Amino acid sequence: MRSAFEWVDALPSSIALRESLNAYPTLLTTHVVSMCLFAGLIAFWDMRLVGLTLRKVPVSNIPTRLFPWALTGYGINLITGGLLLYSQPMRYYDNFYFWAKMALMAVAGFNMLWFHYATYKSVQAWDQGREIPMSARLAGVVSLVLWAGVVVTGRMMAYAGLMPEWWNNLNIGA
Amino acid sequence: MTQSFFEWMQGLSFSAWMLEETWASPIIQCMHLLALVAFAGAVLVVDMRLLGRGLIKTSTARLARELDRWMIWSFVALFVTGAPQVLSTALKQYYSPFFWWKMQIIVIGLVFTFTIRRRVAFAEEGTLGHWPKVVGVLSIGIWTSVSVWARLIGLLS
Ligand code: HEM
Ligand code: HEM
Repeated sequence: MRSAFEWVDALPSSIALRESLNAYPTLLTTHVVSMCLFAGLIAFWDMRLVGLTLRKVPVSNIPTRLFPWALTGYGINLITGGLLLYSQPMRYYDNFYFWAKMALMAVAGFNMLWFHYATYKSVQAWDQGREIPMSARLAGVVSLVLWAGVVVTGRMMAYAGLMPEWWNNLNIGA
Repeated sequence: MTQSFFEWMQGLSFSAWMLEETWASPIIQCMHLLALVAFAGAVLVVDMRLLGRGLIKTSTARLARELDRWMIWSFVALFVTGAPQVLSTALKQYYSPFFWWKMQIIVIGLVFTFTIRRRVAFAEEGTLGHWPKVVGVLSIGIWTSVSVWARLIGLLS
């Protein structure tokens, strides 16, 4: 893993991005705005599943009508996030919050797929009603918590001085 | 006058506490972003509906009525988590053009949202021609630019 990060770090395109004055501000700002599109819509979808809001909107309306937009935001989010990482791999390699964020994203992805291919199959039975099955509510709560964790760890990546003690003791950067 | 007000804010013992307490600023910043996500979602679902996209099976008025509370309370959360950051970094904010742009556009956005956007969202469907679309685009544009200037305060000041 480390050698892959070091290899990217030495690539001319990575160096060019790193040394560009505009790249980091542009990418980070776009990352935040696209996060709003993705996470904002997903948050309301999750809250619909939990039963907190939009209870009069049929459940199945949201995936068909809002997911294309949410996924567009996610796509831009992944590209800008990927480029930020590409431009300074060694800045993030020993960053606890970076790895925590990637792990949380992976779990959130599994939760989504699981929900989609298992729980959601029975949506016709609870599409209009107020009675949402426990498994769907649970998926909603788990998703809210995980994506909030992704936002928080995303912001915390800037605080290299605030890594947990045990992480620092691993001495991954050395 | 304005400058001495910002100097006064910077001199408060609360500001000193925010700067000394290692975790205070990062926690507040994370909460500002979480509030931002909620705000963005609440605003966007209605704006997209104004544009004739998104949840078109539900009327705009119904969506707006439901999401109003979310929009208002998440804005309150943005204010509550934004104000302490203004206090603790008052002079940096004072000298940042982006801060002033952000605040001016927020004021414009609030006035716009509670007058024009609200009227259009609650109006009878199909009676306003293209105006709902114009309002939807303006709303998205206003809040996006607020976010852009906000992010640039930290990056370019
Ligand atoms: C492959 C996916 C992603 C990668 C590689 C990635 C990478 C990054 C990088 C490198 C930064 C800059 C950190 C810094 O220098 O301070 C960042 C910031 C951030 N990311 Fe991501 N990211 C990804 C996806 C996401 C997603 C899905 C979300 C939220 C749902 C997210 C939320 C954030 C937030 C909130 C910040 C902080 C922005 C700020 O400082 O204003 N990221 N990300
Ligand atoms: C009156 C309410 C608000 C106040 C007092 C406020 C204040 C602040 C302050 C002081 C910062 C830190 C800037 C820095 O020094 O880096 C900030 C960051 C930010 N604000 Fe606000 N804000 C408010 C409302 C909003 C609204 C309505 C939005 C968006 C629609 C927004 C979006 C942002 C964003 C995207 C950041 C950068 C987040 C980060 O990465 O840390 N804020 N805000």
